[in-house]
Amino acid sequence: MAILEVQNVSRRFGGLTAVSNVSFSVEKGEILGVIGPNGAGKTTLFSLISGFLPPNGGDVVFKGQSIVGQPPHRIAKRGLTRSFQVVQVFTDMTVLDAVTTAALLNHPMRAAIAKAEKVIDQVGLGHKALETPASLSLQDKKLLEVAKCVATEPELILLDEVMAGLTLAETQAPLKVIRDLRDAGMTFVMVEHVMPVIMSAADRMVVISFGQKVAEGSPAEIVADEKVREAYFGEEDLHD
Amino acid sequence: MKPEFFGILRSPVLWLALVFTAVLPLWLPSYYLHMATLALVYVGFAYAWNIVGGLTGQVSLAHSLFVGIGAMLASALLLRLGINMWVGMLIAALVSGMAGAVIAWVDYRFRLGHLSFALITLAFAEVGELVVLGWDFLGGASGLYLPKDQGNLQSFQFGGSSGYFWFLMLLAVLALGVNLAILNSPLGFFLRAIRGNEGAAQAVGVNVLRNKMLAMAISAVLCSLIGTAYARYLTFADPYLLASPNLTIEIVLLATIGGVSSAFGPLVGAGLLIPIGEMLRGHFGSMLPGLHYFIYGLLLVVVIIALPQGLAPAFSRLYRRFSN
Ligand SMILES: Nc1ncnc2c1ncn2[C@@H]1O[C@H](COP(=O)(O)OP(=O)(O)OP(=O)(O)O)[C@@H](O)[C@H]1O
Ligand SMILES: [Mg+2]
Repeated sequence: MAILEVQNVSRRFGGLTAVSNVSFSVEKGEILGVIGPNGAGKTTLFSLISGFLPPNGGDVVFKGQSIVGQPPHRIAKRGLTRSFQVVQVFTDMTVLDAVTTAALLNHPMRAAIAKAEKVIDQVGLGHKALETPASLSLQDKKLLEVAKCVATEPELILLDEVMAGLTLAETQAPLKVIRDLRDAGMTFVMVEHVMPVIMSAADRMVVISFGQKVAEGSPAEIVADEKVREAYFGEEDLHD
Repeated sequence: MKPEFFGILRSPVLWLALVFTAVLPLWLPSYYLHMATLALVYVGFAYAWNIVGGLTGQVSLAHSLFVGIGAMLASALLLRLGINMWVGMLIAALVSGMAGAVIAWVDYRFRLGHLSFALITLAFAEVGELVVLGWDFLGGASGLYLPKDQGNLQSFQFGGSSGYFWFLMLLAVLALGVNLAILNSPLGFFLRAIRGNEGAAQAVGVNVLRNKMLAMAISAVLCSLIGTAYARYLTFADPYLLASPNLTIEIVLLATIGGVSSAFGPLVGAGLLIPIGEMLRGHFGSMLPGLHYFIYGLLLVVVIIALPQGLAPAFSRLYRRFSN
């Protein structure tokens, strides 16, 4: 069963069409990779799905109901959260407090704190629970982004380049978290530029170029696809 | 509620401080008792304001409106319609709470941003003052004189300076308690998240509009309650004092100097500065007109420059250094 259906979604910024008639669906329990060159419209697509931007056309159906036009907090409450490519931290809040805020979506105070502690350990930030964002490295801030998403206990998470800047070895820990959560029933849509990472993590991939979906298929099919090579691999090196 | 909250409630320091404050009227000369009462009024205002200005990080200049509603409306209801002032206090608080929620809604709907929040709240406060000054029902420019206090508690009369001290202390403690309770409950997390980053707060399911409205409403209700009691203490509901945006500026200054991000900032700010201001007036007020304002202003500037985080964080740093 498809948990998310994106139907002919478009978004224009002035004269620029950042997302153009994009359609795809996400099955429950899968990890869908989204790739595409810089400026292809991936982040914009996430904003359209999560309610941060209204689309100019098309529909987004989550768990059988249209969520277009709903505010982000209501979409989060329904079970769909996103991370931000440009990390968005709560200044002045410790890691624990920030993740607790997210856990409060579905838990009362004490249970939320306990949930937050668990998630922070899970993503490997346990020893930094009482630090504020100012003292965190970019990588840790990205893990914090993941922890906030996970703590809301969503059914679908949109992760926007949470592993950018990590070495291949460093991606293993967050990848394991994602796989474990997937095994527990969560669904992921991931944007990632690091090819080996997304290739190994994703069950299926969607390729976006100039706002349009140009290919869809298994990682192996995607690597072999002519259009993808043209749009993507042709113009930049694999590690961006 | 976070367990820490109950820890604070059980803290002996808190109870000692409360008892110490509560026995002040038993020995303090009346001039100083008046000073202490004023300090309590402003501690209460500063805590009420801090819910919006500190926790949510929105510099509100609307708060004289809520104090004004509490003072002028409750007094007018008594004098014009014979409504018991306890009831008037609650009606005014309700009106203030709704006004606060509406102002927060207007700000959010029109997405006015940080600076604009200050400006639009100021506009509401200015309009409020004009309404009071122009509407005879609320006393107009000459204000409202309340009947002489005959010690009748049922009529909202507290029978002398000790009674008012204790009642205003109760309200100040209420404002402090509400702050601590919010800080340690989901609302406090939501407000701090909103202060930190609205978009990120929404992404994890925080209803920004609802929480901002709630914060503003709670803050307004507290200001209004204290406003009613303050007017009764002064036996004169003076619009130029109680409905003037200048009052908000004072409150903002006290909270800022105490430290907005600290739970005890408003207490330290108002608790220290109001008595200092009054004493300066006592000493220098008759020497040269305006001299005490000048000294007071200079003092504030020095504190703001030297301790941009406020007095309370500086004190707690000192305390930690000595206890180590
Ligand atoms: N708020 C906005 N206003 C105007 N233009 C925008 C806005 N957001 C994105 N764009 C433009 O839309 C296009 C798509 O941007 P988007 O950030 O979605 O790309 P992306 O695929 O996420 O790129 P990257 O890989 O660099 O993150 C870009 O040309 C970008 O400049
Ligand atoms: Mg992007």
